[in-house]
Amino acid sequence: MKDLMRIKCLISQDIETLLNQQIKKEAHSSSLYLSMASWCNQNGYDFSADYFTKQSEEERMHQLKLFKYVLDMGGNAISPEVTGIKTDFAGFREVFEDALEAEIAITQSFKNLAAKCHKEQDFVTMEFLNWFLKEQREEEYKARRALELFEVIGEEGMGRWEIDKHVNKISYSEE
Amino acid sequence: MEKACIDINELVNVFSNVHGSIYQSDKLNCFYVDFGGKFAKYNCLSLQKLKKVVEQIDIEELLLNTHRADFELVTFNGCEHIYLLNALEIVALKDLLQGTFTMFKLNHLISDCLYRLVV
Repeated sequence: MKDLMRIKCLISQDIETLLNQQIKKEAHSSSLYLSMASWCNQNGYDFSADYFTKQSEEERMHQLKLFKYVLDMGGNAISPEVTGIKTDFAGFREVFEDALEAEIAITQSFKNLAAKCHKEQDFVTMEFLNWFLKEQREEEYKARRALELFEVIGEEGMGRWEIDKHVNKISYSEE
Repeated sequence: MEKACIDINELVNVFSNVHGSIYQSDKLNCFYVDFGGKFAKYNCLSLQKLKKVVEQIDIEELLLNTHRADFELVTFNGCEHIYLLNALEIVALKDLLQGTFTMFKLNHLISDCLYRLVV
């Protein structure tokens, strides 16, 4: 008997489902960052608004990269429904706390996906995921550094204005 | 599609239960679902969709909700076939499809071991 399902698709149903869930999570992150950009802009934090807009574009790019992979492997990539995006934040600091929390959740999700790939011995998808795992080092670093600015600079006086100016300068280098 | 149109000898029985059978045609790269008095042709994608649709039916709600009919229409966009099934038939179709996909997995493992990984 021909292995028709395998001929049609490289990835298993379980991996396809997890990748589609990841696509949804990236779409959610992209929308959340855009919402954060909107809040920052409305409250006068222009540099942070730019920072979150760029982050939103990056998450969208991640989503499309996953989307293309599922399709390239013969799977069914699902355009996700994104709902329940937080639009109001208690303060400037909360925005960055939520951003870090979102990145931690994404990292955890990729770790679960990688664990499943190891279990199934799907080393093709594992190799594809390596790029994302590496990317999460940068994403979490930037989110953590941004939040640390609140401790280093402090929010009193011109603190928030200073934090806003520094957020856009955060960069990650492996070296 | 009538069973008579197909040469049953060319089909491989993937999985059967008391309510029906699913066959694979290696010649046409498709599947035939013999269930509920229908002999319906599916490709890989549509068979996966059928499984998903059947698995998403809330059987408990179907049985307990007295304000709705005791049967469910089973189909999806682009599907040429419609099944009108009661709760027991849904359970049977679900079992048939799950058994079939388990056999696909088993066949994949066997194909890997016997043909693809042979040095």
